[in-house]
Amino acid sequence: MTVPEPAFDGRTYPYVPPASPPESIRPLLHDAAGEVDPTDFEVLRHALWNVNIEHGTTIIRTSGSPVVVYAHDFNPVILDEWGDYVYFGPWLQYLVAASSPAVKWILENRHPRPGVEPGSMFMTNDPWIGATHQSDLAVLAPVFWEDRVFAWVGSSLHHQDLGGTAPGGFNPVAEDIFHESGVVPPVRIVEDGEIRTDLEEEYMRRSRMPELVGVDLRAQIAGCRVAVDRIETLLERYGAPTVKGAMRKIRDDAEQAFAGRLATIPDGEWRSQAFLEAAGPGDRGLYRNSVVLRKRGERLEFSNEGTDPQIGALSCTLAAWEGAIAAMVNSQLMFDQLFAIGGALRRIDFTAEPGTLTSALHPSALSLAVLTLDQCIALAALSISKMLSCSSDPSLHREIQSSMGAATFPIAAFSGADAGGRPFASLFLDPVAAGMAGWSWRDGLDVGGWPWDPQVAMPNVEETEAFYPLLMLWRRVVPGSGGAGRFRGGNSMELASIPHGIETMTHHMASAAHHAVPLSPLFGGYPGNVNRFLMQRDTDLRELLAAGHVPAPGQAVVGTEEELPPKAFGIVQGNDDIYVLVWCGAGGFGDPLERDPAAVVTDVASGAVGAAEAERVSGVVLDDEGDLDADATAARRDSLRAERRGWDAPPAPREGKVDGDPEAPIGPGLGVHEHGGERVIACGCGAVLAGAEGNWKDGALRRETGIAEGNALLPDPARIVDAEIVLRQFACPSCLRLLDNEICRGDDPPLWDIKLGGGA
Amino acid sequence: MAYLGVDIGGTFTDIVHLDDDGGVTATKAHSTPPDFERGFLAAVGKVAEMRGESATDLLAGCEIVLHGTTVATNALVQLRGAKVGLITTRGHRDILPVMRASGRAKGLPVDRLLHASEQYRPDPIVPPELIVEVDERIDAAGEVVVGLDEGQVEAAVADLRAAGAESFAICFLWSVANPAHELRARELVQAAAPDAYVTCSHLASARPGEYERFAAAAINAFLGPETRGYLTRLKRDLVDGGLRGPLLVMQASGGVAPDSLAGDLPVLTIGSGPSAGVGASSVLAQQRGEENVIATDMGGTSFDVALIAGNQPVRSQSVVENQYEFYLPRTDVRSIGAGGGSIIWRDPVSGVLRVGPESAGARPGPVAYGRGGERPTITDANLLLGYLDPDNFLGGDLRLDVEGAERALAAVGEEVGLAAVDVALAARQIVNAQMADLIRQMTVERGMDPRDFAVYGYGGAGGLHVAGYLAELGSVRGIVPLGTLSTTWSAYGCATSDVVHVFERAIQLGSPFSGTLLQDTLAELEQEARDELSEEGIDAERQVVDRFVEMKYPLQIHRVEVPVDEDEVARPGETLGQKFASIYDQLYGKGSAFEGAGSEIVGCRVVGRGRLPQPRVKAAAEADAGEVPSRSIVWAGEDGAERLDTRIVPAARAAELSPIAGPAVVAAATTTIVVPPGATASTDAAQNLVIDLDGA
Repeated sequence: MTVPEPAFDGRTYPYVPPASPPESIRPLLHDAAGEVDPTDFEVLRHALWNVNIEHGTTIIRTSGSPVVVYAHDFNPVILDEWGDYVYFGPWLQYLVAASSPAVKWILENRHPRPGVEPGSMFMTNDPWIGATHQSDLAVLAPVFWEDRVFAWVGSSLHHQDLGGTAPGGFNPVAEDIFHESGVVPPVRIVEDGEIRTDLEEEYMRRSRMPELVGVDLRAQIAGCRVAVDRIETLLERYGAPTVKGAMRKIRDDAEQAFAGRLATIPDGEWRSQAFLEAAGPGDRGLYRNSVVLRKRGERLEFSNEGTDPQIGALSCTLAAWEGAIAAMVNSQLMFDQLFAIGGALRRIDFTAEPGTLTSALHPSALSLAVLTLDQCIALAALSISKMLSCSSDPSLHREIQSSMGAATFPIAAFSGADAGGRPFASLFLDPVAAGMAGWSWRDGLDVGGWPWDPQVAMPNVEETEAFYPLLMLWRRVVPGSGGAGRFRGGNSMELASIPHGIETMTHHMASAAHHAVPLSPLFGGYPGNVNRFLMQRDTDLRELLAAGHVPAPGQAVVGTEEELPPKAFGIVQGNDDIYVLVWCGAGGFGDPLERDPAAVVTDVASGAVGAAEAERVSGVVLDDEGDLDADATAARRDSLRAERRGWDAPPAPREGKVDGDPEAPIGPGLGVHEHGGERVIACGCGAVLAGAEGNWKDGALRRETGIAEGNALLPDPARIVDAEIVLRQFACPSCLRLLDNEICRGDDPPLWDIKLGGGA
Repeated sequence: MAYLGVDIGGTFTDIVHLDDDGGVTATKAHSTPPDFERGFLAAVGKVAEMRGESATDLLAGCEIVLHGTTVATNALVQLRGAKVGLITTRGHRDILPVMRASGRAKGLPVDRLLHASEQYRPDPIVPPELIVEVDERIDAAGEVVVGLDEGQVEAAVADLRAAGAESFAICFLWSVANPAHELRARELVQAAAPDAYVTCSHLASARPGEYERFAAAAINAFLGPETRGYLTRLKRDLVDGGLRGPLLVMQASGGVAPDSLAGDLPVLTIGSGPSAGVGASSVLAQQRGEENVIATDMGGTSFDVALIAGNQPVRSQSVVENQYEFYLPRTDVRSIGAGGGSIIWRDPVSGVLRVGPESAGARPGPVAYGRGGERPTITDANLLLGYLDPDNFLGGDLRLDVEGAERALAAVGEEVGLAAVDVALAARQIVNAQMADLIRQMTVERGMDPRDFAVYGYGGAGGLHVAGYLAELGSVRGIVPLGTLSTTWSAYGCATSDVVHVFERAIQLGSPFSGTLLQDTLAELEQEARDELSEEGIDAERQVVDRFVEMKYPLQIHRVEVPVDEDEVARPGETLGQKFASIYDQLYGKGSAFEGAGSEIVGCRVVGRGRLPQPRVKAAAEADAGEVPSRSIVWAGEDGAERLDTRIVPAARAAELSPIAGPAVVAAATTTIVVPPGATASTDAAQNLVIDLDGA
């Protein structure tokens, strides 16, 4: 078979737009930008921002979907005439990458026929062009001025069911995209301001919930109408060159802020990896996902080097992967730039190997792409954090975070018929209540939510129970589910649900990661708990209820407890069965033996961490009253530290000690120093570990142990995967500080994740 | 008989006395935290003295005392409240503490939303160790799944008391569907701890959605003891001082309620101060015959906006206070950090001029105050341009430093390449545009056109800017209250309030609408409202009841409030669907609705209003005629700054000199009104200054 030359046109390969608009469409674009005086700029900056907010609130108010209203699975955008970003909205951040390529594709492929014209709008859910997966529909509208395209507005929004073999679109058994919801390349849904009812019906017809899909499509159209109208008003008032000048300056200013931050960081390469689990039901495989970040001069490059080939229902496309990374760039590097991500994107190159898990080719299955994407976000956060740890600007060190709890979203879908025989189907949105990672200077917030999406909210129990025939027995924060560390990771939650008023209901599991292998935390922090789907069969819960007791966790007598795999279909829950959904906690930051003992006392008193685990991992001993036993703590910490002396010797031990402050930091514990005419990486205690451009781990003590050593809640990975999973720990041979924890397969080589230098 | 309106803020206690003849006596006294009742009584004494009578006679002569208080609001902001014990449904103790995972960013300004590393949940209203679970469970239909374990409640009360709880919140799932368990638990708490303060969640908020309801209950329990204590002391002092009539307390809903209710539900008074100001604007709007009004209050640090549409203040359903969100129908007052104290600065990254949101506050305040402020503010800009008179600020109480203001503005000007005067003009334009943006957001998102509204501008800085944001909005008519009452606007709002009670109930009704559920529910709610009003001594002819239904398309989450009349309720099938659709179209644009699946009714709301007699306000005597002074003032012309000789009209002579052609400045004791070139200003019958940008 001959392999054709890849065509990055959004059909088999992802669409990769040209750097600038082709000659053929230039006449269509209104690109004249004028000087904008500082006062007009400040006014227009606010006004354009408010246009986008109005666009978003219009969608929230007119949408029908809890996924939109509570989980905020949508975001509006303003783009310039050629589809480059001006403003992104403050809702779901990873949708960022979808709209821009979609607009460019439309300009390249839909002009002059059927035509980009005043009063037209386009829609698409094509993941190879401009969607994270088929459920995310983009609606895009040109803003015309003087018969040319002045700008674009649009939104991406998650539609609840667009057909295919799995209700709700998340299909754990899909072998390819033909098992899933259909793909719609950009079509002109609105012409001359009127919706094309033929296309609307064609679109709705595929859905199990056509009315809901209709409501949400109309919501997106209403949002675009508001935004187009408001930008036209600004154009009338200020004139096109001034408004365009302001749009350009918004991006230029953001770019300048981004460049200023990059200037504090040395060239280098930072690498993070994790595993996706279960390509389909019954699969016990592990698949590597890797996000590599390189800084060279004034640019960043993100690459998916080392990522495994696409497989089963585990892959995402280029647009989703870029969106994932952009979400964390925005949150960690552009937090003060009011969602003007376009400025940063100008200085970022994305290099993804086609045919891999994070740049899948058609016809890969994609309905679960968002789960892979979530893990990409978590990996991007780790790689960016490792890079920031090398910045000379201490204020940027405050943005360093360990492994987030939102490293994937375990989809726990349920369905059945209610007492009146009416069908229902939905999924628990509760896992949005993720623990937040430990930062380099403060604890991760317990149940803080998604770090990249400031507004996501867990549904109320009463909202879930009002819609569906179930009763939530408990929904609680799980103590110790966040990882230990100098700054601990945030705890996450679990919920328990039983059928209510019906005899049985059916569950589907569609999860992609972190049931077996937790995400590796940062700089010696410990991992959080994993995701779990637990079915407690044949309990005595009905007897307990009848006797006047609401069963608490662990209280009901359980016949058998089944742990369901990440992907499963048609699991029936009977009236005596309790379904427990556990979602993963966040990782801690830094050596737990350096945690302030007073903070550990508070952890234990508040119930966030158990006393035994606090003593085991953090070495803090409490007396019977729960007060600190300072002497016992000091002794316990000394002995835990001393144990590390017995770990395996470094493969390339170094001699010598350095003095004074490092010329450049690497995280809180390491730094680059001048030592005997050589530039070296040394521990904070002064011990030299490696040459400046080498892997510091080569000079560190190490051991391999079971992952439960890192968190007592972690169950045996063998329940889910075949590979041997280990916790690899690295410590300074001199001061015995724990410098890193790596969670990987037993036969993986050690990860060289911080590589300084590399030239421009 | 007379009315007394008293509004207590953090700094000043404002008082308005309205007598039978329409006579007005208004003044201010210093507030006296934490014993606010002392400041209250001092203000009463001051008014009595101004009227030449004793405080006892004055109180005895008052039919009603209407009172707005920030006691609860301040206590919440400063987290100064009771130690609360919370009793909740087993399995769900974490509902309040985890705040639906969104508490860290709730209510934050948008420019801080992305910065997760700097976000925190607020300090807990209820310490987690004071949350106790008991066995009980009710389901969505209100059916009891597990009965209340009374022994566990009693044990919980004992434990919580031992741990220091002074106030109790009882928060059970689905108490809105069936309040029996909460009510029984309250009895048990009261029996075990008769002196303790108790709040039931279904009484604090009548909506499903447990987090928001529990938050309202917890906050209520937190504020309850202090608020009730204050109102009890105040009532005692007033009665001892001669008051025979009732003490009514301002609610955030925009009406007043008896002091006992305010003591039970202080959560309803949070945000009542701004609501009272809107109430005063409502009265003014009725007097002036304006149905649609944008009420704006610009002070030193913030700019507050509310809407009055069709004679009614526009309400919002949910509130964020201290990052806690809860449902509470109240006057929708929104704020941005734009005021006289807003700092003018250069953004080092973009190099452009910015204004606010940081404020110099009262201390150090603007540079011109000479109290150590070094960064220029909007007040400094207004001074340098000539709008403010350095020798006559706040009636001459404070001499303003023009040179200091100019120096500070010039320093910023040097950074952005502008002269000091141009910086001042640009800063005014930026702040005017920000204020117009907020107004536009509030109107446009409701499908209203701001140009259909008259704009009222009050607060210390309102008159200086109202013409500016009028122009930004494309509106033409602005009104600035000028009379004695303009400086005690919220107190005046209290004095002219109605008694208001809101009753709500969730129902579920799909189209085509039929049957009597809607009619019955509204009738029951109406009866509850009328009973409550009657109990408060408001007879039937003074009772006004407005009915609303909450509607949505079946697959939607958000609801739209639809006012309904007798007829529509009796025959809902005929008109309600259509009425909802037309309101929906107005809100979201034609063609936005997907009407294929009909519509549904999800809630009923009745607003019961007891109309209190409205005082008449008499015009004050006019001052003597004489020479009108003028000074040189900088205006924004077509080609930049333009210096024009500008008339300075004393407020007392505004009526006599109407219409006043711009450019002009109307100077009152506590405010200054700018009339730009091309505009005119005239006084109306009630001494308000009406600015017309078209010069008509």
